[in-house]
Amino acid sequence: MSGIREVKGMTGDEAIANAAKLVNPDVVAAYPITPQTIIVEHFSDFVSNGEVDTSYIPVESEHSAMSACVGASLTGARVFTASASAGLALMYEILYVASGLRCPIVLAVANRAFSAPINIHGECTDQMVCRDASWISLFGESAQEAYDETILSFKIAEHPDVMLPAMFGVEGFIVTHALERVESLSKQQVEDFLPESRAAKYRFTPDEIMSFGSLVLQDYYMEIKRQQEEAMIKAYDVTKKVMEEFTEMSGRKMEVIEEYKLEDAEYAFISYGATAGNAKAVVDRLRSKGEKAGALKIRLYRPFPSLDIHEALSGIKAVSILDRSATFGSPGTILQSDLSTALYGKENVPTLHGYINGLGGRVLTLPEIEEIYQKTKEYHDVGMTTTLDWVGYRS
Amino acid sequence: MTLQLPKVSVKDLQEWSKLEEVFTSGHRLCAGCGAGIMARQVTLAAKALGDPYMIVNATGCLEVASTIYPYTAWNAPWLHNAFENAAATASGAIEAMNAMQRKGIMREKHVNMIVFGGDGGTYDIGLQSLSGAIERGHDFLYVCYNNGAYMNCLSLDTHILTKEGLKRVTDLKLGEHVYAMDQKTGELVLKECSGIYDNGIKEVYEVMTHHHSIKTTKNHPFLTVQRSKIKEENKLVWKTLEELQIGDEIVVLRKLDEGKSYTFKEIELSQLGDYKVNKLNEAKIPEKSSPDLMEFFGLFIGDGWVRPHKAEVGFSLPEETEGRKRLVELSKKLFDLTPSESSKDDVYIYSVNLAKFVDSLEIGKGARNKKIPSWMFKLPYKEKESLIKGLLLSDGYLIGNSNRYVSASFELLKTLRLLLQTINYRVGKIHTQKKKKGTFVVYRKLLEDSSYGYICFSKRAEPNIKKYLSQTKQRDFLADNMNFRTEKIISIEYVRAEPTIDLRVEEEHNFIADGIVVHNTGIQRSGGTPQGAATTTTPAGSVIPGKIQWQKPLAEIMAGHDIPTFTASPAYPRDLMAKVQAGLKFEGPAFMLVDSSCNLGQRYPPDQAIEVSKLAVKTCFFPLYYTCKDEWILTGISARIAKDPERKLPVEDYLKPQGRFRHLFKPEWKKKMIQIQDEVDEKWNRLVRKASLH
Repeated sequence: MSGIREVKGMTGDEAIANAAKLVNPDVVAAYPITPQTIIVEHFSDFVSNGEVDTSYIPVESEHSAMSACVGASLTGARVFTASASAGLALMYEILYVASGLRCPIVLAVANRAFSAPINIHGECTDQMVCRDASWISLFGESAQEAYDETILSFKIAEHPDVMLPAMFGVEGFIVTHALERVESLSKQQVEDFLPESRAAKYRFTPDEIMSFGSLVLQDYYMEIKRQQEEAMIKAYDVTKKVMEEFTEMSGRKMEVIEEYKLEDAEYAFISYGATAGNAKAVVDRLRSKGEKAGALKIRLYRPFPSLDIHEALSGIKAVSILDRSATFGSPGTILQSDLSTALYGKENVPTLHGYINGLGGRVLTLPEIEEIYQKTKEYHDVGMTTTLDWVGYRS
Repeated sequence: MTLQLPKVSVKDLQEWSKLEEVFTSGHRLCAGCGAGIMARQVTLAAKALGDPYMIVNATGCLEVASTIYPYTAWNAPWLHNAFENAAATASGAIEAMNAMQRKGIMREKHVNMIVFGGDGGTYDIGLQSLSGAIERGHDFLYVCYNNGAYMNCLSLDTHILTKEGLKRVTDLKLGEHVYAMDQKTGELVLKECSGIYDNGIKEVYEVMTHHHSIKTTKNHPFLTVQRSKIKEENKLVWKTLEELQIGDEIVVLRKLDEGKSYTFKEIELSQLGDYKVNKLNEAKIPEKSSPDLMEFFGLFIGDGWVRPHKAEVGFSLPEETEGRKRLVELSKKLFDLTPSESSKDDVYIYSVNLAKFVDSLEIGKGARNKKIPSWMFKLPYKEKESLIKGLLLSDGYLIGNSNRYVSASFELLKTLRLLLQTINYRVGKIHTQKKKKGTFVVYRKLLEDSSYGYICFSKRAEPNIKKYLSQTKQRDFLADNMNFRTEKIISIEYVRAEPTIDLRVEEEHNFIADGIVVHNTGIQRSGGTPQGAATTTTPAGSVIPGKIQWQKPLAEIMAGHDIPTFTASPAYPRDLMAKVQAGLKFEGPAFMLVDSSCNLGQRYPPDQAIEVSKLAVKTCFFPLYYTCKDEWILTGISARIAKDPERKLPVEDYLKPQGRFRHLFKPEWKKKMIQIQDEVDEKWNRLVRKASLH
């Protein structure tokens, strides 16, 4: 099982860099962008000091970063990179190439708001808009989860039934730059946890005559895309299994969703990222006042854990969806839209109330979360099945 | 120079050509594509080195045409990522293999990494990724295949009816008068053409009626009949092609007004000694055209040829044919000359002045190049009909009630069709037929498989409009119009994206193109611009934006990174392959720019790819050299030209075989041509100066 559990204070970025150090990827091709810079800077220190045996490619843009990652991954190497906001957007074209060519690349996202207006602070829209790119997508609440998800992502991505790239994100500054208590693993544990041999069966190497990335016309394109979807479907179970193994190895419980006091709850919060922590604190406050509150945290966003969520929400009357991502003119928040579809037509589903909050790194305070709880109760009593509100702004 | 090019001999080429192909057949590159030739040469050169090699390929013709799933033409490890990131992708692959070799996961191997990028994926959008990869110093050879300077041009084979006759739209001059329809009176009028616009490459459709066809863009307006239930409210309106459907009636030319006999320019008399023959001025040259003379020309267009230096005007009219009999009659009547009938198949009229006279009339030389010259469109009806009579005596025959004329020259068929339409003949579309070698075509056996065209035509019967006006108007809305009639559209089909051109015609804003009345779009483009405001002043200026845009000096930009930079052409394979090997052997990034002709874009016949590329080099448009850290060395024929400037060919020689630059050879483009030559010279001289420092 475990080695000695070392506990250190680390920021989210540092945690990711340290976890990546243990993984010792073959190639890191990255371009700096606030608030991910610390990851990249720390990692290049590791490279210079010989603490890792990684080929570090200081590329000239994020687009080239992901391009180099694809080239590297196809030779069979283990590849890691990180980005945020505009950088992730610049990579967007190649994200699809990476998943289309089945490269198990791992990408750490320091979730940051999009321009314009330019804002460098925490917001999850950047990762949310990549949800359709056929990448495994995870969110983390804390520096600890950032650390753990770095290591998990490699195992999920490289699983032979999956072979898809994986990204995981924590909010910029809120998690990436805040010092927290992190339990680290030992190098041996990580080496035992991750498979040693590189996953790819077909590789871009001098010995194999193979063409990668050919033109596929109407007659075969859909089949190849369907294979990706089937990998995504399998990824759900693979993620659960990998998380079980991780739980056993580390002693820290990791699941696709985290349930907090949901068993007898009537009204629940659903959230992801750092906000989930605040939600749990408010649940405690409400419980002390006699309210039957609970919270559900989503870790795995793609593939969307519909089954687990449905089970967890049985008996819940109304749900407050705390979503730190922006969407405009939409019938619901991004998370709300996915939830809606997952729960539509099923028995015993709660009413869904979406709350867009915290854009551009604005703090959603605990009193504000309590107010959201009350508002949701009112909506539910009045009989509204679905609502969308923006909270925490001057109107 | 620290960098040495290996010597590649012809024997080496012979040996290497026996190696198993890396870029195999089965790809879909166009016949005549330079990129495919280049890819074979580069990969073979890499293979000949012996070390393992891998290929990263940017999106482009080479990539798309060679790997259509589930097939691939690449007998090598090959990777395609996206358009602008080949260099970045290669960086990743190279560093990954280094890491895995270091970690013992992969066997130590030196791999020659070749990166292919077209000019699109390299010059602009790909420049960042390439420059970054070079800065980081990865070991690869980037081969950019490119088809030379980027230029704006236009081409269209529409014919316009002008005061001086029928002209190709590209031959029009500003200020020329063209035929138009007066929209108030329905009369045929002459109006000034005040603008000629290059509209760039647009999607072009072919509109066909029973007797006319024209190619235009979707937004081009035609004059069409709008029928209403109340007969009196039928009227003519302008509608764009988009709004028209099969069955709609459009206005076409019925006939031109009666013309006048054409007065010929005087031919200079030859002196004894000018030619080696003595039959100099035997013929009496007519001053003006006449029906007999036009019949003679009809025979000539079909079956004749001229050789002034042999004093010869010859006709391929065998004995006993009606054509020969008539020719002999005409020759005596018109020129006071008796032709020589000594040959069974041919007839000759010997006189230098007659030969020069016929030669000066712009009929064209060679069976496939003849056409009806523009001045013949201004002749009186009778003379035009005599011309047709002569044509039919040569290559035509009667089939049922209609005449059929056969020719190898499609330009002739097109111009003949338009001529027939000016005298109210009914003529069908141009048909194509292929005939095999040995078939008899109008008296003679074909020497090889050939394609011919033919048209069918007949005189149109005049309906009795006095008695049946309203009924006739049902069929032909303009039944009572002297010069115009209407025809139904029978098909509208997409052709392809082509360069397009448009005119602006003063006052009436329409003109007759390929016999059909069309609107100019000059007015529509400028919306409410008052008349006269949009007229252009100088021909070259704002009319045809023929500004030359040279591409970025990519080789120089790469050389500025202090890496080995090569230019090469597949027309000189030994030079190219030596450079490939030098680039691959070099440790670190190297760049090669290859002149890769594209027969689709540059418009030359598919078997001319190498010729065109050779000319690019021989005219110094694309010189061959290599450079590293400010040392410049010319290679191959470019080196020889630098030593012996007499060998340098004028840039015209490179532009001529390319259809795209056809218009540059018109007199009004002379200044542009000089400008191009000057630019090429300036760049070449700079290069020679840099190279001469060694």
